[in-house]
Amino acid sequence: MKAIHYINQFFGQVGGEDAADSRPIFHDAPIGCSMMLNGMMPDVEVTNTIVCGDNYITNHTEEALAEIFAWLDGRDFDIFFAGPAFMAGRYGVGCGLVCKAVAARYNVPVISSMNEENPGVEEYKADCLIFRGGRKATFMKADLTLMAKYAEKLAKGEKLLSAAEEGYFPRGIRSEIPAPGGVMAADRVIDMLLKKLNGEPFQTELVIPKTDRIPPAEAVKDLSKCTIALVSTSGVVPSDNPDRIQSASAQKWGKYNISGMDSLPAGEYKTIHAGFDPEAMCAVPDRGIPLDAMRVYEKEGKFAKLYDYYYVTVGTGTTQNYAAKFGKEIAAELKQAKVDAVVLTAT
Amino acid sequence: MRLEIGSFKVKDIVFGGETACRGGVLTVNAEEALRVVREDRHITEAELKIVRPGDMVRLCPVKDSVEFRCKVNGGEGAYPGVTSPLGQAGMGRTHVIDGATLLTVGRHWGGFQDGLIDMGGHYQHYTIWGDMPNLVLVADTDELDEQREQQKRNHAIRWAGLRLAEHIAQCIRDLEPDTLDVYELPPLDARGEEVKKLPGVVYVLQPQTQMEALGYNTLVYGWDGNRMLPTFMHPNEFLDGCLVSGSFMPSSSKISTYEFSTNPMIKRLYAQHGKTINFLGVILSTLNPKMEEKVRCVQMAGQIAVAVGAKGAVVAEEGYGNPDVDYTAMLVELERLGIKTIGISDEATGRDGASQPLVSMNPATDALVSTGNVSQFYELPAMEVIGELEALARDGNSGGWEGCINPDGSCVMENNGMFCANHISGYSRRSCADF
Repeated sequence: MKAIHYINQFFGQVGGEDAADSRPIFHDAPIGCSMMLNGMMPDVEVTNTIVCGDNYITNHTEEALAEIFAWLDGRDFDIFFAGPAFMAGRYGVGCGLVCKAVAARYNVPVISSMNEENPGVEEYKADCLIFRGGRKATFMKADLTLMAKYAEKLAKGEKLLSAAEEGYFPRGIRSEIPAPGGVMAADRVIDMLLKKLNGEPFQTELVIPKTDRIPPAEAVKDLSKCTIALVSTSGVVPSDNPDRIQSASAQKWGKYNISGMDSLPAGEYKTIHAGFDPEAMCAVPDRGIPLDAMRVYEKEGKFAKLYDYYYVTVGTGTTQNYAAKFGKEIAAELKQAKVDAVVLTAT
Repeated sequence: MRLEIGSFKVKDIVFGGETACRGGVLTVNAEEALRVVREDRHITEAELKIVRPGDMVRLCPVKDSVEFRCKVNGGEGAYPGVTSPLGQAGMGRTHVIDGATLLTVGRHWGGFQDGLIDMGGHYQHYTIWGDMPNLVLVADTDELDEQREQQKRNHAIRWAGLRLAEHIAQCIRDLEPDTLDVYELPPLDARGEEVKKLPGVVYVLQPQTQMEALGYNTLVYGWDGNRMLPTFMHPNEFLDGCLVSGSFMPSSSKISTYEFSTNPMIKRLYAQHGKTINFLGVILSTLNPKMEEKVRCVQMAGQIAVAVGAKGAVVAEEGYGNPDVDYTAMLVELERLGIKTIGISDEATGRDGASQPLVSMNPATDALVSTGNVSQFYELPAMEVIGELEALARDGNSGGWEGCINPDGSCVMENNGMFCANHISGYSRRSCADF
């Protein structure tokens, strides 16, 4: 297998902070730490090193990616490496965004390494394999070893183990595994029970993420002056589902213009939600997006104006992370549009 | 309460002239056995087969699994209130055949709740049945009202299985068992001081009881679990047939009748009793469709746990999805009451593995054992089939869909449709991990 390795200006021997704005340089052979990485993998050859300044990749992302894509297009590679970035924040973010873009465009495994405190971890762990790395460059060999070991397994087609066993940050994906040691669940329960009763440390098999408690917004003072928007998890979209929102485990949302409309006609709109029997909502899409009722209230003057777009995604199976992301993105748009309140219809 | 379970170990099942259990082999007179099956006029077709570990055979649609057991004394029958007159389970002596089960399979029709078992190949060890010989009753019925329904009560075939297993076990009734296990737990206040010093632990079982219509839910002494509230029971009652598995819920998350009566979680808690814990007993709760019902059950079960002095609890949920709300609520309530709690159930992480694994999650549930993933995608090679493989695709099996069977007989499915495969009873040797 062939691999290409992305590193920053410092490890690419261009320079320190003064060279952080340097544009991508493409080497015909592995240089610097790429050589060390290459030496660790009998079945993977690192053919090239890409070196780019941390400021350039993070501040001029579009241009940087365009240059990198122009060079990568048509090139033969099976794996893409970036880093290790240790605790270096901009380097970590740079590795993450290049890996994410490369994975999307070339559909190859992307492998990086960062320290758990690197902001790149939180931002990109769902999009690429980020191995748990050391705090500084003295961990270079150890961090590269983990990356190399995984790539070797890929090259040999060996069984890939869980995030904890391989040493990377979980990507938000869970899958079935044989219980370690083949231990029966009832015995695992007893082991955990006794440890918990005795106040000893124990490891749950399903870590429940901490939940944020969001205080509710202040009540609306004068409804008659409000612009109100409709937001929903009902999955009601134009019939051709133009944004291809997933029917379950949604990873995106859509916004659709409803100005001048008094209802959502059946046939032109439908629900793509896979978590309930869609027949009734497809027959009357306003059951999910109550445009008809809102227009009546708007005409009666109960509130000032219905916002011209409604926002929608699908709730079933959608992860908390994506739901929070959608909420933040939609709220930012609504705030910008000076919307005062939202009716959120769930299912 | 004192229960003796006499076990007769078997390694094989064969057909023969006389139903008998000798030298580790169970011999079954098929003609006699089928006569017992046909006592119910709703059975229109019935035959018996034997499958062994490693046989390249696929069973589908599997409806239930039952242990060969009979009551020797001190009770009314193997399943009191169901196939026997009502009577107290958990006392006296019961004889069981250890190392083999009876499986009931539809000749044609399956449904949402029915499952698939592979006796050989990659998925052999995904269920406990791949590791032991099984007598298989393949039958059809005249229950035409539900023949094309996705949800089936499967009454005739399930009851035929219970009768047949008890009938066959009559051959061991008067024999001396290979081993005799004694299960004895005195009333709470009659336990020794040394035992009372140990932390009291309850097993909180949430069997599947969510169907409002009767005939689909787990039966408790024959009573439909949908119509009951949490109650405190003796562990022996479970090891002696007080529960009969229902016919609702995606198959892999179900607990079969065999597992309810051989419950490994109860046996493990028993084994710890007097050594590390004081096993107080079982709180039999329910799973419910409505929010108020969920809250009521959790509240009542929590109160019972406190009243009996529990310091620890194991909560098992037979199902996933909506009942995760009952499961998480029970764990949270027990923790709130100061009871250190472990949960055991399976997960639904979606086809891409990125879905929230439980419908309801709360950080207070910090000790969970995971027994499998209903969304896991399985690819099965073609195999000889007992039953009708088309049931996986045609009849609304929770793990199958139209087009999931290839013309060559190979198929794809979700874990959902593999019979009781996540073994929430405690038999599971699988888990889930982050990737």
